[in-house]
Amino acid sequence: MNKFKQNFMGLGLIKLLIYGFFLLFLIIPLLSVFLVAFTDEPINVFGSLVSWEQMQITIDQLKNATLDNFKAMFTYGSYFRGLINSLKLSLIVSLWVLIICIPIAYGIARTKMPFKRTISALCTVPLVIPTFISAYAFIIMFGRSGWVTYIYEKMGGEGMLIDPYSMTGIAIVQIFFFFPYALWPMVAAFKISDISLEEASRNMGSRGWLTFITVTFPLALPGMLSTLLVIFAVSFSDFGTPIILAPNDLNLIVVDAYREISGFFNWGGAAILTVIMIAVAGVVYWLQNYLLKDKNYDVLSGKPKQVKLNKNKALTIPLTIFSGIVVLIPILAMITVFLQSIATTWGRDPLPSGYTFDHYRTIFTSSLGNIQNSLVLAGGALILSAVIATFVSYFVVRQRSTTLDFMTTIPLIVPGIAFGIALIQTFNTAPLQLTGTALILIIAYSIRRLPYMVRSTVGTMRAIKQDIEEAAVSLGASTLTAATTVVGPLMLPGIAAGSILVFVTVIKETSVSILMAPAEWAPMSLAIFQNVLRAEYYSAAAMSVILVIIVLVLQAIANKLSGGNKSHE
Amino acid sequence: MGSVLIEQLRKDFSGLTVLQDINLDIKEGEFFALLGPSGCGKTTTMRCIAGFETPTSGTIKIGDKNVANLAPNERNCGMVFQSYALFPHMNVFDNVAYSLNIKELKKSNFFKKAGVYTRMLNSKIVKYPQHIERKVMDILEYVELTEHAKKLTSELSGGQQQRVALARALVMEPEVLLMDEPLSNLDLKLRHTMRNTIRRIQQDLKITTIFVTHDQEEAMSMADRIAVMKDGKILQVGTPTDLYSNPNTPFIADFVGTSNILSGKVVGSEKGETIVQIGNQQIKSSAQTDKKDVQVIIRPENINVLNGAPDNFGNSFEGTIHLATYLGSIVRYDVRVGEHQLLIDTTYESGDSIKKNGSTIRLGVSPERVLLI
Ligand SMILES: Nc1ncnc2c1ncn2[C@@H]1O[C@H](COP(=O)(O)OP(=O)(O)OP(=O)(O)O)[C@@H](O)[C@H]1O
Ligand SMILES: [Mg+2]
Repeated sequence: MNKFKQNFMGLGLIKLLIYGFFLLFLIIPLLSVFLVAFTDEPINVFGSLVSWEQMQITIDQLKNATLDNFKAMFTYGSYFRGLINSLKLSLIVSLWVLIICIPIAYGIARTKMPFKRTISALCTVPLVIPTFISAYAFIIMFGRSGWVTYIYEKMGGEGMLIDPYSMTGIAIVQIFFFFPYALWPMVAAFKISDISLEEASRNMGSRGWLTFITVTFPLALPGMLSTLLVIFAVSFSDFGTPIILAPNDLNLIVVDAYREISGFFNWGGAAILTVIMIAVAGVVYWLQNYLLKDKNYDVLSGKPKQVKLNKNKALTIPLTIFSGIVVLIPILAMITVFLQSIATTWGRDPLPSGYTFDHYRTIFTSSLGNIQNSLVLAGGALILSAVIATFVSYFVVRQRSTTLDFMTTIPLIVPGIAFGIALIQTFNTAPLQLTGTALILIIAYSIRRLPYMVRSTVGTMRAIKQDIEEAAVSLGASTLTAATTVVGPLMLPGIAAGSILVFVTVIKETSVSILMAPAEWAPMSLAIFQNVLRAEYYSAAAMSVILVIIVLVLQAIANKLSGGNKSHE
Repeated sequence: MGSVLIEQLRKDFSGLTVLQDINLDIKEGEFFALLGPSGCGKTTTMRCIAGFETPTSGTIKIGDKNVANLAPNERNCGMVFQSYALFPHMNVFDNVAYSLNIKELKKSNFFKKAGVYTRMLNSKIVKYPQHIERKVMDILEYVELTEHAKKLTSELSGGQQQRVALARALVMEPEVLLMDEPLSNLDLKLRHTMRNTIRRIQQDLKITTIFVTHDQEEAMSMADRIAVMKDGKILQVGTPTDLYSNPNTPFIADFVGTSNILSGKVVGSEKGETIVQIGNQQIKSSAQTDKKDVQVIIRPENINVLNGAPDNFGNSFEGTIHLATYLGSIVRYDVRVGEHQLLIDTTYESGDSIKKNGSTIRLGVSPERVLLI
C-alpha cells in the first residue's frame, strides 16, 4: 500500500476529523457570535456554504453590519452596568478569598495547628457542590424563613442578617464556595518560598511576625496574585450563583446574556455580551500566564527543604478557630439542604417540624427521568471527550501538534454561558439544526471539559515511551493498530481518571444545561433550578442531595484511580 | 531473508546533516556491525532502514526491493531496542505473539478480526490458535524462557527481558534483524553471555543482522563485517581482522584496538622499504606510499622488548620505562623514546619479572608491522 494512502486511512483521517470537530463546534460558533455582534441577527454559516441564496443573505447581513451593539454596550445603561457589576463582584470575591486564605494557607503550610488534617480534608467539600445548590442553600439559611434569620431575630435583630438576593449574598456564596480553588496553590506558595531566607532574617534578630511581613509574604506574592486571577475568572464565569440569587434590578453580565437570549431572543444583545465576556476572560487568562511566565520553577522542582513548623499555641489556636469557621459555613449549608430534603415542613424554626422520606420517594417516581438524563448526557460526554482527548494527546505528544494543543485550551477561557450562546446561535437553523437536541448538549459538555481530560491523558501519554509504540509498528502493526492495542491500554488509567472528572463536572454543570437542555432531556441540574424557581424547595433539596452523593462517590473513585496511576512511569 | 543495499543515503534534521554518503552492501545472512562513537549517526542509519526516519536522499533496498514507499510496518524488519521496548501490559507470551496476531489480523474476515483484536487486548478472553501457540512456545524454548511465558515482563531480569525482545523480533521471521545497542543495559558478565547467545542464534537461523554498538570489542567479537562511522560518514568497511591490521585512518587505528600514532615525513626508500623521519629518529616500513606527510601506526603488541637478544627486527630504539601496568596475561609499558611516548604490550608468563620504572630498554619493530596512513 502507498505510504500516504495508508497514513490517510488511519491516524491522518482521525486527525482530520478532530480538526473538523473543533472547527465546527468551537471555532465557527465563536467566530459566528462575534459576527452576530455586528449584524444584530443570527447568520447562517452552514446554510451559506450549501446554498447560494443563503450566501447572498449572509453577505447582505455583513454589509449592513453596524457598531450599534458596541455603542449600546458602552452607552446603553444596563449592559454597561452589568459588566461593571460583574467586574466589581469578581474583584470583591477574589480579594476576600485572598484575605481568608492567607491565614488558612499559612496554618496548613507552616504551623502545627490542631485539627490540621481535618480542616484540610473539609476544605475540599465546597469543590464538589455545584454553585446553584450552594446558592439555594443560602436562601434556605438566610432567606426570610431561614433558620439563621430565626436565630438572628431571636437575638434581637431585625429583618434578615444578610439578604441572599443581593450582590452581598452572591459574593458571600462565591467566597465560601470558591476559596478552596485558591487555598491549595497558596499552601504550595507558602511551602516553596525560600525558607533559608527566612532563617537568615530570623538570625539577624527579626521577630517572627516581622519576618512574615517582610520576607515570607513578599516571596509568596506572585503566587498569590495568580491565585487571585484564578478566583476572578471563576467568579466572573460563574452562572449558578447569580442566576439563583440576582434580583431583577441587579445587572450581572452572565445573567443579562442569559435573559437576552432565553427571554427576548435578542441575538445581537446576547452576542455583544458574549464577546465582552470572552474578552474579559481572555485578558484574565493572559495576565495569569504572564505572571507565571517568569516564575522560577527551580524552587518547585528542587528538593523540598524541611520546614520548621510553628508550634506557638497563641498563633495556632486562633488559626484553627478561624479555619474552622470558614469551613463550617459550606458544611452547615449542606446540612441545611439535607435537613430540608427530609423535612415534612420547615417554617421559621431552627429545625424542621417533622421528618420524612417522601421527597425522595417523589423524586424516584416522578423525576427519575432527570437522573437518567444526567447520567446519559454525562456518559455521552465522557465517551466523546475520552475518545477525542486520547487522540489529541497522541497528536500533541507524538506529533507535537501545537494547533491542537492550543485549541484544547480555548474552552478553558470561554465562560460556559458564552459558549452556550455561541452554539445556540450557530446551530439554530437548517442545514445543521442541532439546537435543542441531546447531541449538541453532549458536544457542548465535552468541549467544555476537554481541557481537563486532555491534561490527564497528555500526562499519561508522556509517560509511555515512544519506542514501545515503534516496537509495535516494527512488528507489523499499523500506527492505528499500535495506538489501539498498545498505547491505548497503557493510557487506560489516565483516561479513566479524566473520564470520571468529566462525568462529575458534567453532572454539576449549570450554565450549558440551563441554557441549552430541551425539556425532554432536562438533567438534574436543570430540574433543581426549575424547582428552586417554582419555590419547590423540598424536592429541589432531595435532588441536590442525590446529585452531591453521585458526585462524591465518583470523585472518591477518581482519587483512588489517579493515586494508583503511577505504576507505568 | 534478505540483503540490504544502501546507496548514497543522506539524512538532514532541520537543515543539519546527520548522515551523508552512506553506502553499504550487506549480504544475505551476514552479521554486520555499525560501530562508532556516540552521536555519529548509527541509530539514525538503523531507523532509516526500519522506516522510522525518511531519508533526505538516497535509496535503501531490502532483498532487492526498494523500500522507499514502504511504511515501517510493511518492511518486515525485526527490531531489538536498547530499552527492549517490551509491552508492559502484556505477559511474555503475548509480547512474543504480537506480530503473529498482526498477521492474522491482516488476512482474516471481519469476525475473526474482531476476535484477534480482542485477544490482543486481553488474551484470556480469546484463545490462541494452535499454530501460534506452538510457534511462540518453540521460540521461547529456543531462548530458554519457556517457564516464564506467563510472567509479566516487569517480573523478568534484564537478560531475560533482552531475550524476550529477541524472541519477539525473531518470531516474525524478519528479512533483517536490527539491533540498537542491545547489550548496553546489561552488566559486564551478562553481556558476554548474551554476545554468545545472539551470535549462536544468528548463525543457526542465518538471519541478516545489523548490530549497532559503540563498543569495538563487541563489534570485533561478534560481527562478520564492521562499518566504522564518524560524524555521519562511513570511514571504513571490513572484516574485524581487516580493520585491525589495515585501518585506513588514524581514527580507526585508535578506535579499533589500541595504536601508537606518530606523525612523520617520508625521506626516501631503500630495498623496497619506505624510510620515515619522526623527530630525530628514522623508521623503516614495508608499506608503500606516495604521500610525503604520513601517520605512522604501530600496534603495542608489535613492539618487542629485546632482552639482550640480537637486534634483527630492522628497526630498533632505546627507551626509558615511564610506567608499567600489569593487565593479567600482558604487561603494558609506557615508554619514552626521545620526545615520543609509546605503548608496548608484552606477554606475561608467571615468573617473569616486570621491569622497573626508569629502567632503560631496547625495542625492536619489524618493518612489516609499521603501517603508514
Ligand atoms: N529527531 C532528531 N532531530 C534532530 N536531530 C537528531 C534527531 N535524531 C538524531 N539527531 C542528531 O543526529 C545525530 C546522530 O544521532 P544518532 O542517534 O543517530 O547517534 P548514535 O550514533 O546512535 O549515538 P549514540 O551512540 O549516542 O546512540 C546526533 O547529533 C543527534 O543529535
Ligand atoms: Mg543510538
